[in-house]
Amino acid sequence: MNKSPWWASESFWRKTAVWVTAGMLVVLIFLTFDTVKKITAGSQRVPPYSVINKRIYYRLNPKRGFMEPIIGDDAPLFGTRLDEVEAEKLVSSGKMTIQAKNCMNCHTLLGNGAYYAPDLTKAWLDQGWGSELVREQMMVRFLMDPKTNGRGYGTMRRMPNLNITEKEARGIVAFLKWMASIDTNGFPHNFKTIPQEGDQ
Amino acid sequence: MKYSKTDYSTLSPGKKLAVKYFVVAIILFGAQLLFGAIAGAQYLHPGLFYNTLDFNVVRMVHINAMVVWMLYGFIGSVYWLIEDEAQTELVGYTLGNLAFWILTLAVTVVVAVYLLVQIGPGNQLSLWLINEGREYIEAPRWADIGIVICMLIFFYNVSATFMKGRWTGIAGVLVLDLVALAGLYLAGMFYTPNISIDQYWWWVIHLWIEATWEVLVGCIMAWALMHLLGTPRRIVQTWLYIEVALMFGPGILGLGHHYFWIGTPEYWLTIGGFFSALEPIPLVAMVVHAVYDAGKHDFKNRNHPAMAWLIAHAFGNFFGAGVWGFMHTLPQINLYTHGTQWSASHGHLAFFGAYASINIAMWYIAVQKLRGDVPFDSRLPHAWRWKWALALLNIGVLGMTLALLVSGYEQSFIERAIEGSTWAGYFKAQTAKWFVQGMWWRQFFGYATIAGYLLLVWDLATIGKTVSQPASGADKLPAHQPAVSR
Amino acid sequence: MTEPVFAAHIMLATLSGAMIILFGAFYAFFFAWSRLKNSASHALLAYASYAVFAVFTLVLARALHLSGHWHILIGLILLGYWLAPYGVWRLCVSTHAHEKTQATTRTRQTRNYKFH
Repeated sequence: MNKSPWWASESFWRKTAVWVTAGMLVVLIFLTFDTVKKITAGSQRVPPYSVINKRIYYRLNPKRGFMEPIIGDDAPLFGTRLDEVEAEKLVSSGKMTIQAKNCMNCHTLLGNGAYYAPDLTKAWLDQGWGSELVREQMMVRFLMDPKTNGRGYGTMRRMPNLNITEKEARGIVAFLKWMASIDTNGFPHNFKTIPQEGDQ
Repeated sequence: MKYSKTDYSTLSPGKKLAVKYFVVAIILFGAQLLFGAIAGAQYLHPGLFYNTLDFNVVRMVHINAMVVWMLYGFIGSVYWLIEDEAQTELVGYTLGNLAFWILTLAVTVVVAVYLLVQIGPGNQLSLWLINEGREYIEAPRWADIGIVICMLIFFYNVSATFMKGRWTGIAGVLVLDLVALAGLYLAGMFYTPNISIDQYWWWVIHLWIEATWEVLVGCIMAWALMHLLGTPRRIVQTWLYIEVALMFGPGILGLGHHYFWIGTPEYWLTIGGFFSALEPIPLVAMVVHAVYDAGKHDFKNRNHPAMAWLIAHAFGNFFGAGVWGFMHTLPQINLYTHGTQWSASHGHLAFFGAYASINIAMWYIAVQKLRGDVPFDSRLPHAWRWKWALALLNIGVLGMTLALLVSGYEQSFIERAIEGSTWAGYFKAQTAKWFVQGMWWRQFFGYATIAGYLLLVWDLATIGKTVSQPASGADKLPAHQPAVSR
Repeated sequence: MTEPVFAAHIMLATLSGAMIILFGAFYAFFFAWSRLKNSASHALLAYASYAVFAVFTLVLARALHLSGHWHILIGLILLGYWLAPYGVWRLCVSTHAHEKTQATTRTRQTRNYKFH
């Protein structure tokens, strides 16, 4: 008596809710396996940490319609070639410092974080460092003493002094160089790089 | 909030715990607004607290206070409704009380360390003791473990109470949701140098906020509708299931809109774009249900402030999540807007509309009980307070959202489209006329929001105090606590 | 393949995104209202809202250069917003159909809270 049609009944929607949720979760888990495989360091999209031994170009791929990182010839960071283990250690110390100094609550990394300071995704390739020759040293100096090496571009906004040691600063630079080599599907859009060898 | 002239001591155990959680939630809500105001002021006066209380610390407290007060509000809401729902007394009051104090102490210590220690050297110890440096889940690792333990105690309390009493549809959804809530939080507790992997798992937090919280809100809303409007249980529960199905259908893979630009494969552009573009359809279609209900029913109720906040919740959710979300969810446009003030604009309205408003509605339901179940209707003295608090908070947040939208548009246009996303381009956008104007307006509306908050606290502390139980039999409610014997 | 929107069209793209949701909601609103009141004029408003919605959907598709498999999305949006209110309406009618008879079997605390 007084029964709702089956498609409007409580039990039908309870089952539907369970099945829809479970089904979508299964798809997500499947995609997660595939994605994690494709973004593990050493894959095509996310290069190995030893990429810091190489020059990183950022060029337009007309087929994909956006810019992508290209690994070039040897250009060891701070003039020292590191093997895979050493490179990972250096990049990891940089990442750890970036977390411990809470960089993400001013900056964005891969577009995520806060919006009080510039995005760091391709910071390694930014025009602001002038030329590739002085870039590494400028970055280290800036990180260690941002007050005097301010980069506010005429605004009053300055990075605070975060007591970053030289070792930590080198780690951060290594991390930023490695991060610049990640294929981010063209993000940030329309990026204009530091003068690169082979560009006009 | 004072308890004088109220009958806190006669509340059932679950409701007593709920009130405690609500009080901390209200305090942390205030902290969120205070630190939001400082962060906003730092955009206008970059020298403010430079190298003493820098933007990163202020912003961290701003967003963490928000996440934590909403969590407190949800836990409180569940404790508030569970005894009515299970028709039995809460099983573990002492345990729940212990968890409350542990959690509150932990939150206090975490905030103190955020403010006083702020940052540490780049090693594991800093991540364990000071902060983890990952947006929204900055809490140091020790606190993460504490949070999970407190969540497990909460989970035990909820499921054991339902087991002892009555198992309902709302109970089933709630318990499953709490499993997911605790489980997903674990995904935030690890370290990796690989930022792509890091951000892939970090965005599982998206499922925390956009899925498990939404379902929690669905459960609270379901109960609130039965409570405030007397909607029959079968209808409310059927619609709770419909909501879960419609939300999770596109919602789970809608997670993909966080996977456009973090190094993840290109197929996420399609998956994230498709599913998050389809996400608003159920939201929009629910307008039909609202109209149906409004037309078929007489919306008389005894708690006007709570009902008004539930309506604000529906509108806020529609605009914040629906309109503001869809505006920039497709990758073709998100490429410009991601990581700019657009995200801040969307975030402010979406969090407020979806979660702040429903919590405030629950506070009004609780405070009515505290004042001896007097009617909060048109006869209520000083009704201007809750009405102005409602107006100021909503206008304030909407104003901030629109102001940030102007700044966000300016930023994405100048920084991304014209200047090519360089540091110089970033700063050029930050000093652009309309961007700065937007920031000023944001600050102005931020103060309006704070004024609304102060009025809200005043109102919650005093509402209904001068009203005595109406003598007429029609308004005299049964002493409530149906099956709870005290 | 995804081709980003042209810089000059950022405003247009986001505005049409907002309008899609708004007019989708207007359509749903007037649709429900016309059913509720059995009113043809509201039905007309509903269809007018849907027409505006559809125009903005096509504007969005143009502005975002939606091509190839993205056409499917446009189809799903046009169809989804069109049909969802019908579905929700039918669910409303069916789930609320026997409200009167249920009122007597309401749970205890619901009855206690019954308004006046």
